[in-house]
Amino acid sequence: MGLPRKDRIRAKLKSEDTTVRVLLFHPMHTGRAESAEGVLIPAEFIQDIRCWRNDDEVLTIKCGTATAKNPYFSFQLVGGEQGDKITLRWVDNIGAKGTVETVVK
Amino acid sequence: MTDNTVQQRRAILKGMISASTLALVATSGLLLPQKLLAHWPMDAFNAETVEDALLALLGEAEIADDSALNFKVGSPPSYAINGASVPIQIESSLKNIERVAVLVEKNPFPLAMSLEPSPAVKLPFKSMIKIREDSQVIAIIRAEGKLYKTSRFVEVDIGGCG
Repeated sequence: MGLPRKDRIRAKLKSEDTTVRVLLFHPMHTGRAESAEGVLIPAEFIQDIRCWRNDDEVLTIKCGTATAKNPYFSFQLVGGEQGDKITLRWVDNIGAKGTVETVVK
Repeated sequence: MTDNTVQQRRAILKGMISASTLALVATSGLLLPQKLLAHWPMDAFNAETVEDALLALLGEAEIADDSALNFKVGSPPSYAINGASVPIQIESSLKNIERVAVLVEKNPFPLAMSLEPSPAVKLPFKSMIKIREDSQVIAIIRAEGKLYKTSRFVEVDIGGCG
């Protein structure tokens, strides 16, 4: 897809609220698709995403298999200031984990 | 019985107890990664109808079909060329939102995602979902004990749940 193989996160202060945009790198296999050889690809999808601002947990996202490949999320946080740390962690159904963090600009 | 043998017996008994607890833990599957994610609402995500998924996720509550919810699917709206990534956007003026859920009626497992925002989160929320075929896409917000539901019909050119 031409995407670099890593999770990305951006947080920007816009009219006094923080806009967070996240793009995770994950195949999100549903467990229903077949590979080119006709073999079923086992399910592999992100189940749980948690987001922190500084030390406060602000958002939990639970995903099913119907979340698109390379999941993208965008949401806003009330208030905030430049330099706030936004951390996001994800876990998939086979136990793989990832963390991304950024600083509000 | 001397003190020494009592001590030994205690040690052996202790060892047996901890070994059996460990075995129990191992066989009960607590060490498997799936079980570590016990907070993932499996019933809701594995439900095969919209009603079952909602019941498992949100429980029984009064459904208010409300215009407080602004929901957009696809771009251009209500149409998606590729069902494997359909943009969605949920916006609402509601306060104290406890949960937001997105469901696709005709998907094998309708529940696509579920959000638990804290008061610090402000909508709009945007994401991408997979849609298998032409279907109703439903957004539900639970706020102050009520459910606010809205749905959009989306046409899909290439199904995306392969």
